[in-house]
Amino acid sequence: MAGEPRPSRRDFLRGRLGRAGAEPHPRPEAPAAPSSGSHGAAAPGALGGALPASPSPDRQVGPRRQVTLPVHRPPGAVHEAAFLAGCTRCNDCITVCPVDAIVLAPARFRHAAGTPMIDPYTSPCRMCTDIPCIAACKPGVLRSDQPLKMGVAYIERAACLAYAGSFCTVCSEQCPVPGAIELLSARPHIRPDICTGCGVCAYVCPAPSNAIVVMPLADRAGAPSNAGPELT
Amino acid sequence: MNAVIDRREFLKQTALATATAAAAGGAFSLPVLGGQEGASLKWNKAPCRFCGTGCHVMVGTENGRVVAIQGDQKADVNKGLLCVKGYHVGLALYGRDRLTTPMLRKDGRLVPISWDEAINTIAIRIAASPKTFALYGSGQWTVGEGFAGNKFMKAGLGSNQIDGNPRLCMSSAVTGFLSTFGVDEPPGVYDDLDACDVAIMWGNNMAEMHPVLFSRLVDRRSRGEKVTIIDFTTRRTRTSDLADHLLLFKPHGDLAIANGVAHLLIRNNSFDRAFVEKHCNFRQLGAKPDEKTPPDMLGVPMTFEEYARAVEPYTPEKVEELSGVPADKIRMLGEMFGRRDLKINSLWCMGMNQHTRGTAINCLVHGIHLLSGHFGKPGDAATSLTGQPSACGTVREVGTLCHLLPGGRLVANAEHRKEAEELWNVPEGRIAAKPGYHTIEMFKRFNTPTDQGGDITTLWVQVTNPSQTLPNLQRNFLEKKSLGDKFLIVSDVYPTATTELADLILPSAMWVEKNGMYGNSERRTQHWFKLVEPPGEARDDCWQLIAVSHKLLEMGVDGMKGRDGKWIFHTAEKSGREVPIWNWAHYYDVNVDERLFEEYRPFTTKKHKNLAPYQEYVKARGLRWPVVQQPDGSWRETRWRFSEFDDPFVAKGREFQFYHSVSKDDKALIWFRPHEFPPEMPDKDYPFWLCTGRVLEHWHSGSMTRRIPQLHRAVPRAYVEMNREDADRLGIRNSEVVTVKSRRGQIDLPVWIGGRGDPKSGEVFVPFFDETRLINLVTLDEYDPYSRQPDYKKCAVTIVRKG
Repeated sequence: MAGEPRPSRRDFLRGRLGRAGAEPHPRPEAPAAPSSGSHGAAAPGALGGALPASPSPDRQVGPRRQVTLPVHRPPGAVHEAAFLAGCTRCNDCITVCPVDAIVLAPARFRHAAGTPMIDPYTSPCRMCTDIPCIAACKPGVLRSDQPLKMGVAYIERAACLAYAGSFCTVCSEQCPVPGAIELLSARPHIRPDICTGCGVCAYVCPAPSNAIVVMPLADRAGAPSNAGPELT
Repeated sequence: MNAVIDRREFLKQTALATATAAAAGGAFSLPVLGGQEGASLKWNKAPCRFCGTGCHVMVGTENGRVVAIQGDQKADVNKGLLCVKGYHVGLALYGRDRLTTPMLRKDGRLVPISWDEAINTIAIRIAASPKTFALYGSGQWTVGEGFAGNKFMKAGLGSNQIDGNPRLCMSSAVTGFLSTFGVDEPPGVYDDLDACDVAIMWGNNMAEMHPVLFSRLVDRRSRGEKVTIIDFTTRRTRTSDLADHLLLFKPHGDLAIANGVAHLLIRNNSFDRAFVEKHCNFRQLGAKPDEKTPPDMLGVPMTFEEYARAVEPYTPEKVEELSGVPADKIRMLGEMFGRRDLKINSLWCMGMNQHTRGTAINCLVHGIHLLSGHFGKPGDAATSLTGQPSACGTVREVGTLCHLLPGGRLVANAEHRKEAEELWNVPEGRIAAKPGYHTIEMFKRFNTPTDQGGDITTLWVQVTNPSQTLPNLQRNFLEKKSLGDKFLIVSDVYPTATTELADLILPSAMWVEKNGMYGNSERRTQHWFKLVEPPGEARDDCWQLIAVSHKLLEMGVDGMKGRDGKWIFHTAEKSGREVPIWNWAHYYDVNVDERLFEEYRPFTTKKHKNLAPYQEYVKARGLRWPVVQQPDGSWRETRWRFSEFDDPFVAKGREFQFYHSVSKDDKALIWFRPHEFPPEMPDKDYPFWLCTGRVLEHWHSGSMTRRIPQLHRAVPRAYVEMNREDADRLGIRNSEVVTVKSRRGQIDLPVWIGGRGDPKSGEVFVPFFDETRLINLVTLDEYDPYSRQPDYKKCAVTIVRKG
């Protein structure tokens, strides 16, 4: 038979349980997926940091307005303007991340392109206890004295199996932050004050249409009030 | 109501018009994603590929691919709801490593070969030694596949060396039904879930194993109905969370509990005297089986007084001592059974069947239902739930076990053989009288050198993964690696632990890549049509059997001809011209599945398991047998067997009639079976009980579900559930990898404390879906002497910290 696929580092640490062993089989490619396009690149809930679409030319008046929607930054990130100014794009955080959770923001992030971010639907932050990305950040835009909160997750109840007559507790089982997802009457409830927005719940949600939306933090500590539109 | 509004809102937002049917009767369905409603998207019905519940799905196909799945609103079983596996069932077809070409092991390496060479290789092996060839099938075989396999072996080769994996999963339920009613399969149906006042889970984690049925039950609460759920279990599970009474018992304590209920019914004089006098006899075991006395399932009669004396010692206090369930809870249960105004539905699955006293506990649970008259009315039933989609429909009904013929007939019975030979149109004396080897024996003999009594030399495995699912794997299968003269043929859709051992691998078509029929837990026979082409050179399992049979015919093997000198699978058009169905290019020129089903139907009337014509199933979302034609020509299914109000075979005025009664007087048997201790119990060296089982997200050995990304991410690997007290005592942390070790083998697993299930102190639980961590290296292969079903739920292990 075909040899066992070589475990990647991401495979190595996938899941909260048992930090050993690789995914045994290659996965079907995303386009092959019937009934569930929700984990692919075009995940419906993947709101991570995209700028709004370019305004049409005829509506463009005056100097172009700089609108910044929040980017899903790794844990301990400083205020966004300081982050953009300070991040040297050295990729050290990406190199040390043991689960390949940190990626370079693609071109659609415009001025933020090339800076480190997390796409929880592809590979969430696993909330390492030693937080190697912060330790590796030489310019100090990821800092251990900052809150680890990256964002917050919401459950779209209409899509959640547990709210639709089926049984499912996967998000609460795999959540790496104790107490962030509670089960009440066998249904998950997210505590926004405890949730760090790591995105593990969104990554593991097995509902036909992913029932978790992860919002990056809109205003990280120290952000000036005019940093961007509020997301409520 | 919120859920409904939310869903409608969601549908509007996502503009998916495919699942607009609103919830009816309290059922739910989630919207379908992935498919675009359009002219080229076609929807067809099919039963779900996974478990024995038998949910129906609507399969959306476009450009030759399955692109969407939706719960079938028209299906009685699930009313549009699916479990997490069901919503993703379409993905089971599209794992990247589907097997697409036959492969033969040459000099230790698997090399692609042609189908001609593959079929030829098998035929040569069989022709050289037909009596040492065995076929190991599956409860995932379609009805047609099982029938073809059974005919090929029993009416073709004249060999009974055919068994199926339901031996590991359902055979104690079979012996329970046979001992009690004289005929297999539940008298009740899923409708009992809608009508019962009390549902008792006998070691049954229904919320994870039959989630759609459990939803059907608990959903009644949201409609304001009262349903009391009693969860008898050895570990807290997801079912326990929704149960009114969680009654934790010691492993193997279930026998004492059932006897305790019988004791109370008699002591309180609350049993149903009229029902018992009119419809029941009492039985107990005869001589204890030993080398000279084979196990006798029929036992010896006993009087009511003798029965009452036999259950006399099972006082609530004694039962508490034996089972660990508090005496007052036993009294509560006894009182419930004593009430005529309550409707009680007992439900079980592997907890009672994978049990070295599986037949006994099955008989005892039927017994307390009969004794208390909780039988044969909507809501009053004792129903075993199956794990595989067609364990009932194929293996139990078509009889693909070493001792059975189709329709519940026995190879050991000369009259039954004669009837089968007539129906199959093969010469008298073709079918062998001696049963073949049951599963464990079959594999032991395949796993033993031929000159040391290993008289199975060629084994063909279809649609199952024994190298992961047999108990005590090393002793029962893995030795094969070093035995040069053994030949293993495996038909499967993905590389599995079993294909690793194979000498010849045949790529199979699966589910909607072929025509098929399944039969679920409630006697419901279901049908589907082929919707998409199988990948590469993958072909139907049924065709593989037929092609080998034809090759043997060409080689002049006598058994492949019937009385008329024609091939046993001879198939002709209406004009009389033969269709060469052994040639894949012509296999779908006719509907072979329909031909085989119509050939099978006459067998089903022999034991009142009547099936309707094939075309009736094409129209229906399954029909529950016996299906009997009405004066107006329509076909009517039966829900409650043996009850006059519903079963057409019960004589008028009889109220109940057990027309296959073991005692030949239309009465059912109430058995006394004593409490006994299991063969292996925890001791100083191996202080923990090990229980194995499934999880919601994965189905059996995981060969399909582990290739579905959503399911694999949800539960990526096996684990060992431990009680917190035990873990603290041993200094074990959550997620720490420990060694689970028994007298037979060991594996390393991460610990999960306070997880989805929570074993009692002194017990651990491990799921068996993970092929990279084979818990069956550790399990015990002791089995029930009557059903020959092994006990995967109880053996002694120790937990060792690493490093």
